[in-house]
Amino acid sequence: MIQVPVERKVLSENDRVAAGLREALQSTGTLSLNFIGSPGSGKTAFLERTLQMLPQGTRAAVVTGDIQTENDAIRLARYGYPVRQITTGGACHLDARMVEKHLEGWDLGALDILFIENIGNLVCPTSYDLGEDAKIVVLSVAEGEDKPLKYPGIFRKAELMILNKIDLLPYVPFRPELAREYARRIHPEIDIISTSSLRGTGFDQWIDWLNARRSRKCDREVLHACTR
Amino acid sequence: MHEMGIASSILEAVRKEQLLYPGYRATKVGVRIGEFAGVDGESLRFCFDAIVKDSPLAPLELGIEARGGDELDLGWVEFDDAECDDSAVEVAA
Repeated sequence: MIQVPVERKVLSENDRVAAGLREALQSTGTLSLNFIGSPGSGKTAFLERTLQMLPQGTRAAVVTGDIQTENDAIRLARYGYPVRQITTGGACHLDARMVEKHLEGWDLGALDILFIENIGNLVCPTSYDLGEDAKIVVLSVAEGEDKPLKYPGIFRKAELMILNKIDLLPYVPFRPELAREYARRIHPEIDIISTSSLRGTGFDQWIDWLNARRSRKCDREVLHACTR
Repeated sequence: MHEMGIASSILEAVRKEQLLYPGYRATKVGVRIGEFAGVDGESLRFCFDAIVKDSPLAPLELGIEARGGDELDLGWVEFDDAECDDSAVEVAA
């Protein structure tokens, strides 16, 4: 019997495709954000409000994932930005190949921001690199505030936590300060923004975060690709 | 259940590794799973066993090493010399 060391990522094929995506998005200066949250956490409504509030002239696009239906793409397409639906037919996460396939035909050089809405799930999407610049976790106040402790993987990997649906706080026994404490216990540097997609609360702060994140990327990446 | 996809990726990696060692047969593969990897070891084992039994790599055992971070790595593959089948050897008392 011989034992041969292999020493590579189990998802090396996904990582290879993701690296290609990342390189392509870096060369065009396109900020790519991967939204992950439970079903019903409000990811689609959050993106709808975001598209409504993007500064004029922002060139954005959305790839949205669901197990079935094109409902989310139909909702998001109302705001005048390019949208594509990935229907996985049962898979509980997006992978890099799905994203690559659904970006075909789009001129990435004509995009400032690519929003990727993952399948509603706090576990499976965490394992898959989609070539994004940052993962963003969406947690709604209709869930438990201990989600960061129960699902530490995504809270550890996310750069930003959106604490969503705060308009419901008067009606639910959710303690936002506890959710923030738990999130920072898992990931001390995580940014946290509280929002209500229904009312637009917190979206000025979110748009500021988005602009700052894009500027930070442009500082690091190919500057001529970030002229706007 | 993304463990099924991960199990398929492990099998594919072993299949490629097997090609590098003609005359040997892969008997066990070791993976390292971090506590933040978002992968349940028992679910992965269930999926792995379900798909390996109908594959040319059967029988193949999955070894899981639990780690602390978010790693999900293939660590090693064990091979037996296929031409030296222990089961065919009779031990004279």
